[in-house]
Amino acid sequence: MIELQGVTRIFPNGVRALNNISLTINPGDFVFLVGPSGAGKSTFLRMLFREDVPTEGKILIDGKDITTMPESRVPYLRRNLGIVLQDFQLLKRRTVAENVAFGLRVVGASASVINTRVQEALEQVGLSHKRRMFPTELSGGEQQRVCIARAIVNNPLILITDEPTGNLDPMISQEIMQLFLEINARGTTVVMATHNHNLVNKLRKRVLALVDGQIVKDEACGTYAYE
Amino acid sequence: MSLANLNFFMSEAATNLRRSGMMSFITISTIGIALIMMGAFLLATMNMESFLYQMQAEALVTAYLKPEVSISDAKTLSLRLTSLDEIENIMVVTPEQAAKELFSNPDDQQLMQIGITPEENPLPTTLRMKVKAGTHLPPLLEKLKAEPLIDNFSYGEELFQQFQGLSHLLWVTSLVIVIMLGLASLFIVYNTVRLTLYMRREEIIIMKLVGATNWFVRGPFIVEGFIQGMVGSFLAIIVLFATYRFALGKLAELIPFFTASIGFEQMFKLAAKLFMMGLVLGISGSLLSLRDISRFSKSTPEGV
Repeated sequence: MIELQGVTRIFPNGVRALNNISLTINPGDFVFLVGPSGAGKSTFLRMLFREDVPTEGKILIDGKDITTMPESRVPYLRRNLGIVLQDFQLLKRRTVAENVAFGLRVVGASASVINTRVQEALEQVGLSHKRRMFPTELSGGEQQRVCIARAIVNNPLILITDEPTGNLDPMISQEIMQLFLEINARGTTVVMATHNHNLVNKLRKRVLALVDGQIVKDEACGTYAYE
Repeated sequence: MSLANLNFFMSEAATNLRRSGMMSFITISTIGIALIMMGAFLLATMNMESFLYQMQAEALVTAYLKPEVSISDAKTLSLRLTSLDEIENIMVVTPEQAAKELFSNPDDQQLMQIGITPEENPLPTTLRMKVKAGTHLPPLLEKLKAEPLIDNFSYGEELFQQFQGLSHLLWVTSLVIVIMLGLASLFIVYNTVRLTLYMRREEIIIMKLVGATNWFVRGPFIVEGFIQGMVGSFLAIIVLFATYRFALGKLAELIPFFTASIGFEQMFKLAAKLFMMGLVLGISGSLLSLRDISRFSKSTPEGV
């Protein structure tokens, strides 16, 4: 479970990116985070994987306050999270399989465990036949699927994703979204920031709308509209 | 650290060394050149030390006894001094023997002109002491000074003190140069690692995103530093010792009685020291440039 209690983030330049946000996301939820650019969506997500910390308030993940967590414990928090960002963030000099294996290597998994889990993750995203290819040899949609495979290879409790379809055409976006739905169906909580009206309106999942750092809408089967 | 991690660090380090060839070359060369210079100074100092050691080993201390000391007292003193650890043997030279030695040389006939004659002999009884090899002279001299029957003594002190002073100066200079060169090469290693760190920033960000600890991120860089230090020091040792051998050969040609004064054991110790210094330079350069890895590996700058 993710719980935000009065979270405020004020940057050193005085910008209030998040303003007194309190909410709860239950295990297995699928949550869309919508809002205009600069509304604070990315800051919200970055707080969840402790890339940033609130100026005020608390964030609890699975009952643990991650805002006061020492820096040395952050890697262990992230091993329970999957993170997929808009700009793919793949290592161009490594093969698909090596990119996916990265998440397992950092936890010191053995070669046999890595092989099995990488194969499973690639099968889930439909790319097991391209395991030896390099990211530059893949399409944008395929690259994003590799990122998803890397994010789920550790079986995370929560998948945090920022504009995962931002650079993709509508057809590919639907395929990617289908993948997230499948991952969510297996019990992983998904928190996704997006500008994609069509997908949000079509899927009718929980929608949190952020405007000027404040939650202006929290609907269980919501639509994209937030004005 | 697990075996899987160690394997990963090794393969990452090998790949990165290959990919950033120029950077690795700069780091290895810097370490190598610094170590050659450090080694050259250390070699010079060791040679000087060795020369001083030889001088001491061949030292002959002559003690001049007071005029009133009888031959039997001189022999008693000689027996007592022979029991000292530093003394190899002692020869008692009476004034008559000393005079004979003097006058056996035709040139010394001139001594008569300054009042020394076989009949009127002002020479004191002397003790000629052969010092054991490896003896440190100053403590022995202190013991001799404390002997009431000894008037004064000689041991080639001027030359000895000059060499000792020079040796001391060389040690201090070597130390200063070793520290300065060490810091300079550390600075260069730090900067080259820092540059490769920027080149691999994306990789580090991804490692941190998937849950790598700071030490895991540092691992390959430390192994790289270790390898660079090792290769740099190996090259330095080869170049230094080859040059030293060549220089010794040339010196032997120029100076017929010249012999190398440093033995294999000392050379081995010097090589070990240089090797350790190379490793310290490589690893500490990497560690220094990785100290702020947490701040460096943020996926987006603060405020975005």
